[in-house]
Amino acid sequence: MNDISSATDLLAIARDALTQQLLPLLPKERRYVALMIGNALGIASRELQTGAAADAGEAQRCATLLARSGIALSPSIEGPAALAQLRRALCDAIRAGRFDQPNAQAALMEHLTRTASDWVSISNPKALHSTGESA
Amino acid sequence: MSAASPATAAVRTPVAAIAHWLQHETRAREVRITRLERLPGGAIQENWTLDVTFVGGEWAGAHEWVLRTDAPSFVAASLTRSQEFAVLRVAHANGVIVPRPLFVCTDDTVTGRQFFVMKRIPGIAAGHLLTRDPGLIPDGEALAKTLGANLARLHAIAPPQPALDRILPPPRSNHALATVADYRAYVDTLHDAHPALEWALRWCEIHAPTPAAPTLIHRDYRTGNYMVDAGRLTGVLDWEFAGWGDPSEDLGWFTARCWRFARPDLEAGGIARSEAFLDGYEGASGRQVTRRDLQYWQVMAHIRWTIIALQQAQRHLAGGERSLELALTGRIVHELEYEAIAIIAEARQ
Repeated sequence: MNDISSATDLLAIARDALTQQLLPLLPKERRYVALMIGNALGIASRELQTGAAADAGEAQRCATLLARSGIALSPSIEGPAALAQLRRALCDAIRAGRFDQPNAQAALMEHLTRTASDWVSISNPKALHSTGESA
Repeated sequence: MSAASPATAAVRTPVAAIAHWLQHETRAREVRITRLERLPGGAIQENWTLDVTFVGGEWAGAHEWVLRTDAPSFVAASLTRSQEFAVLRVAHANGVIVPRPLFVCTDDTVTGRQFFVMKRIPGIAAGHLLTRDPGLIPDGEALAKTLGANLARLHAIAPPQPALDRILPPPRSNHALATVADYRAYVDTLHDAHPALEWALRWCEIHAPTPAAPTLIHRDYRTGNYMVDAGRLTGVLDWEFAGWGDPSEDLGWFTARCWRFARPDLEAGGIARSEAFLDGYEGASGRQVTRRDLQYWQVMAHIRWTIIALQQAQRHLAGGERSLELALTGRIVHELEYEAIAIIAEARQ
């Protein structure tokens, strides 16, 4: 437990203050602005909590996927630049048809589904399918 | 009344300019504009209510119309107002339920922008209302069937069409592959790599259907873009993206999950099951729509929406239009990619 508020806690309490104290006072035609601000604060707060883990997981899965497909990468780059490079290499391989075969497709789909749901959990958790498949 | 007249030139308001132009179009003795008010919504186009009374001429009497014009910021990819008017006129002449198009003004000196005038139709278009309040659509299946049959009448319009051939880009020999190429060209201008989007594009490339004979397609035929009054369809709006293409593109767009608003469980635009919509469409067109067709063009619909959302984010981040709304639109990319991947997963089974 922290002694003072973390960034996540500040965003959460700012959002509560906005939606509970200010929103009811706003004229109808301005309410959507407050709702958008609340939405933005919610996204920022969730990204602060799980964004780095989502990126780390994506980078690890992506590296494994590329290695299994025999695609070499320069190992020196780290951090956000490494993820950007991994994504770029994956896109190039996808466009070149390296994931067209059913087995490769299945592994790619697993990776993309996981990455997309991690980010939907941040950007709009309500859009996640409860059953994990499309309605 | 002439523009050079010193008494009017300096003080001529848009209302006076429009009245003057309408008088010329209708050959009325007198024109009285009793109301000209901007309607809410429309970031790319502006719609204005136009109440007008004519004395003399073939339009003598009072009329409730809508004037549609470009907003100051416009999207280069869409049709101009005079082009949209031409498409609307062809659609109307072929029995598609639309607001009746009346007059077009291509003379920039009247109001400073092109505009056209159409009949005002009653009803509500807002998707979040139509999909939430059962009182607005008592019989969703019947409305979906009407919307399907209406779309079939649009898709019965095939090239060549003298009124459109000079306006619309010619049909491409393979609409699906040409569309993939267009989207990739945009993706390649971006700073970041987007693997889910890239895979959706690759999937659409390797699963491209045998090209269908091109027809006129709307390219934004969906809940939110048609008016419903007392549960009935009164007209399809927003024709600025129309062009020649594969008719199934409109079917995928209409049924895509991103256009179901409050009712993601109702595949036909959040108002009914897809069967009702497809029943109306197949009955009126004679075309059979397979599940595979629908899935393919639903994936394409999510790709297209992803591209648009990325473009909106760019306007905010790099285009000098700082805006919370545009920034948040960029963030829907995640759920659009998630949907595209989910449909591909379903299609692979």
